[in-house]
Amino acid sequence: MNLTVLTPDEEIFKGEVTSVKVPGSDGQFEVLTGHAPIVAALGQGTVRLIKNKGEKVTFNINKGFIEVLKNEVALLVQGVSDAA
Amino acid sequence: MAANLKEVRERIKSVQSTQQITKAMKMVSASKLRRAQQAIVQIRPYTDRLNKMLKNIMSNIDANEIDVDFGLERPLERATLVVITSNRGLCGAFNSNVIKEGVNALQGSLSSVYKQGNVDIICIGKKGFEYFKKRYDKKANIIDDYVMLFDDLSFDNVSKVADRLMEAFSTGYTDRVEVAYGKFKNAAVQYPMCEQYLPVPKIEVPSEEEKASNTKADYIFEPEQNDLLNHLIPSILQTQFQRYNLDSHASEHGARMTAMDSATENAEEMIKDLRINYNKARQAAITKQISEIVGGAAAMESD
Repeated sequence: MNLTVLTPDEEIFKGEVTSVKVPGSDGQFEVLTGHAPIVAALGQGTVRLIKNKGEKVTFNINKGFIEVLKNEVALLVQGVSDAA
Repeated sequence: MAANLKEVRERIKSVQSTQQITKAMKMVSASKLRRAQQAIVQIRPYTDRLNKMLKNIMSNIDANEIDVDFGLERPLERATLVVITSNRGLCGAFNSNVIKEGVNALQGSLSSVYKQGNVDIICIGKKGFEYFKKRYDKKANIIDDYVMLFDDLSFDNVSKVADRLMEAFSTGYTDRVEVAYGKFKNAAVQYPMCEQYLPVPKIEVPSEEEKASNTKADYIFEPEQNDLLNHLIPSILQTQFQRYNLDSHASEHGARMTAMDSATENAEEMIKDLRINYNKARQAAITKQISEIVGGAAAMESD
């Protein structure tokens, strides 16, 4: 599925991924290919992406939103910092 | 005559050096404008997405259920005015126009609280700060914490101001926030404006038709729509405030560019006029000398 990660200052990621794990405001959840359409608010926590080749990318966010529609994932995040 | 010639020559020289400065300033503004415009373009995908989400939620919510914290209209007891101007002058009427908008707001929509002295003025940019400090210091509470905000226009930095405004509103300290800024259209056209920032003007509920076209899928909302709305709106407000600043920033450079362009042109015209004067004076001097020589020669011959 296609993922776009946007911050107000720039686009930090765009490309194919197999999995996105996000810190939802009601609890962490993972989006895989074929996920039902969802709009969710995200809290503080770690986002983990798995790219198609199995490569993992993690970073921390302060807050954000995720929208999933037909394998198109948009992740809007604020306060991005590298995962410790 | 010789003295006059020298005078004109010196004036030409001085106008030329002024022209060089205005030309350089125009160039600098043009490149800064490009960067400022780029910043506006960069934030656009983010704001577009947020607004799309907002529309999406609004299409899936019952209009009667909407309960947005930042949309609460309260009786006006204390208000905040944010004035976004530039740090430097020489940009035409840009600053004075924005300031005028701010003053209009004080005398118009905020006049009832302004008369009681219950207005806070947050100045962003030195020019507006100097103006309001000088004339409104006793009539309103001037806040100067963010005067130099333009030094760092990153989202995180600007959000601090937006967060402070939202906090002041949600704690009930202020009942209304207005922002005077220069809306950017293009390098030549900027609109000075005063917009209501808080409470959020009523969000329009899409019509049934629009709802149908927006609802492409059966979305899961987490948390439920209204809570989500209350998460989403602060983010939208932050980006909106960022937009005010980026717009003003671009407007400033656009205004300076046009101002400096016409200054350069005026200098050109002035140099042209002075050149004509100079040549006339020179020709007059030559004619005079010739007639003196001819006159002298004629006097000798007649002897």
